[in-house]
Amino acid sequence: MLNGIPLSWFLILAAALFCIGLYGALARKNAVAILMGVELMLNAVNINLIAFWRYLNPSATVGLAFAAFVFIVAAAEASVGLALIISAYRNMRSVDPEQMDLLKM
Amino acid sequence: MTFGQILFILFGLVTIIAAVMVVVRRNLFHAALFLVLSFFGVAALYVLLEAYFFAAAQVLVYVGAISILIIFAVMLTRGVMGGQSGNSQWREAAVICGILLVGLVGLLSPVAINFLGRNFGGLQWRIAGGAAGLPVVSEQILANLGMGFVDLNQYALPFVLSGVLILLAMVGAIWVARERHPAEVLAERKQIAAELAADAAAEAITTPEVAPTEQHAH
Amino acid sequence: MDALNNLLSTVGDAIANLIYSLLGKNPGADFAIAMLAAILICTAAALGFMALTWMERKLVARIQDRVGPNQAGPYGLLQPIADGVKMFTKEDSTPRDADRPVYNLAPLIIAIFALATYAVIPFAPRVVGTNLNIGVFYVVAIGSASTIAILMAGWGSNNKYSLLGAFRTVAQLVGYEVPMLLNILPVVMLTGSMSLIDVINKQTTQNGGAGIPFILMLPLSAVVFIISGIAETGRSPFDLLEAESEIVAGFHVEYSGMKFALFFLGEYVNTLAISLVFVTLFLGGYAGPEILPGYVWLLLKVGVVLAFLMWLRGTLPRVRVDQLMNFNWKFLVPMSLINILAVAFLSKIFVTTAGAQTANGGILVHPIIQTIILGGTGMFILVMGLWLVARRTRALRLAEEQTLAERRAQNMATAASLK
Repeated sequence: MLNGIPLSWFLILAAALFCIGLYGALARKNAVAILMGVELMLNAVNINLIAFWRYLNPSATVGLAFAAFVFIVAAAEASVGLALIISAYRNMRSVDPEQMDLLKM
Repeated sequence: MTFGQILFILFGLVTIIAAVMVVVRRNLFHAALFLVLSFFGVAALYVLLEAYFFAAAQVLVYVGAISILIIFAVMLTRGVMGGQSGNSQWREAAVICGILLVGLVGLLSPVAINFLGRNFGGLQWRIAGGAAGLPVVSEQILANLGMGFVDLNQYALPFVLSGVLILLAMVGAIWVARERHPAEVLAERKQIAAELAADAAAEAITTPEVAPTEQHAH
Repeated sequence: MDALNNLLSTVGDAIANLIYSLLGKNPGADFAIAMLAAILICTAAALGFMALTWMERKLVARIQDRVGPNQAGPYGLLQPIADGVKMFTKEDSTPRDADRPVYNLAPLIIAIFALATYAVIPFAPRVVGTNLNIGVFYVVAIGSASTIAILMAGWGSNNKYSLLGAFRTVAQLVGYEVPMLLNILPVVMLTGSMSLIDVINKQTTQNGGAGIPFILMLPLSAVVFIISGIAETGRSPFDLLEAESEIVAGFHVEYSGMKFALFFLGEYVNTLAISLVFVTLFLGGYAGPEILPGYVWLLLKVGVVLAFLMWLRGTLPRVRVDQLMNFNWKFLVPMSLINILAVAFLSKIFVTTAGAQTANGGILVHPIIQTIILGGTGMFILVMGLWLVARRTRALRLAEEQTLAERRAQNMATAASLK
């Protein structure tokens, strides 16, 4: 099925997804939306890993193993991040990172 | 144009457009749903790359778990969904991401681009199989991956560590987001208030000119 | 007999050859055949849905000492069609403050995910949508994705009961996915493959299988799988997400007409899919003695499983939310983990002679011996778990009775002193 699709297509797609995710992480006002941006970036990385595995060394398992660890870390990151956001919301009634300035005196 | 190319463009467009909607939609619930669509697009790309296990894992982990957590968080932090979608620095962020995107696309483009007298892109990858075309993915790859996870010479240590990470994340998430008893919270707040009052009193002694306004405010 | 046995695959081959002769052997023809097969499978699932509603109404009516539908056609057989006509002619209303695109998409997505499961279920030898090498995993992944649709319905309706239903959904469906996955794992461990065809072959005597259904080898897994399957499909006694008497109807309270029918379809098609997966994983799927064709065996087994589910529905009261969560996290999950450990060790120590070349350091035993060892261990874990739970609940009840008695004695003393 990959006939005629160069590797660079996948890489450019992943780069675009990464940049969109980065914009989301940098520019959104809501902490949950920032987390969404981070998830998009992790997805972009995973596309790259699996594309490299398929095109450069499909007989080895290194790329797949890396992708699997990205999945695991993403799941852990999402659960802890959302727990932090909900805890912060309980205390300050806000999820805007610009207002989370309790440490600023 | 081959069938594969059409599929790639289709799924790639779905992924990218959904991702753009994730970062620009003001309604966070809609943004989360577009995130799900984007995850599905990525899963379709994995199918295209013949990583079927990872396509199913993508649906299970990202769609079935992470996006549900995100939607749940959106629902729990309700009432803060409206307003502006970007923060005060969204223009700078857009410029940075735009420059990064243009640079990356230039670096990765299949044909060389001449910019300011230098050549960018046109990278030659050492594609497996060479001119004969991509080799078929072995049926055994999944079994090999599974064996690799328990093989001490391969990924046994990272695998165990990631298990520990998941466990710690679970315990940590439950601890951070636990529902605390109202009396406990009240006692803590009282203590903080008392400390603040003591601080203010101490400050009032050292800097008498601030004290009257503060007392007036109370 | 052979002709009957291969009826489905013969008809399928004939249709495929017809399309090939019309269009020639090219990717377009392959695509057309795949589409046709998908349409046929979806139609079969929809027909199964209609049969299931009739069967459920009749059976539950018998359990509740009623007759059930008996007006439309003989034995009320045309009742599903009458229901369908009623649904079509109802007004399709949308709440004013609903989130329209989300509200309208939710029933569609639920129906799509419910039907997508059928792509990997084998109905007869060679009659399977696609023999994915990750079949079992695909079923679980698709099942987990349908939670999103329920959340969409709950949020999009802009109704607090819908939202409550959606919240309950998250807790229930996501929670019960864990024991479900944990109990598919022993099957995959014993089979050595995630393909559903391989799982069935392992339960027959062909292709190196032992000829013993997995329900005998893994009784605990079968029990926990069917319990978490009921919870996953949101059927009684785990129908908290649409509890009529508590939150009116949960996430689909605002839906009417065709959209409601799609939710209904999704629920029943999911039930049918879970029974099919259960039959495939633990009862050997279409495999059975040669006296009947494979698809008849499959229908019979699925019928028995469905009748069991309906019996549960007609008998058990709905569980409370805290009971639901405690039951999952404190009973099903720990027991499943112990079971996985036991199966992993025992299947390496006692290697079955069927299909195994070398013992790999274990002891080669006859499949029946292995079944007795594995099944006995599973039953032992199950009985121990039940015993522990029974002891704990009895201790709790006794403590409660004691406090009540003490309070009563106190009240009596107070009353006596007042006199």
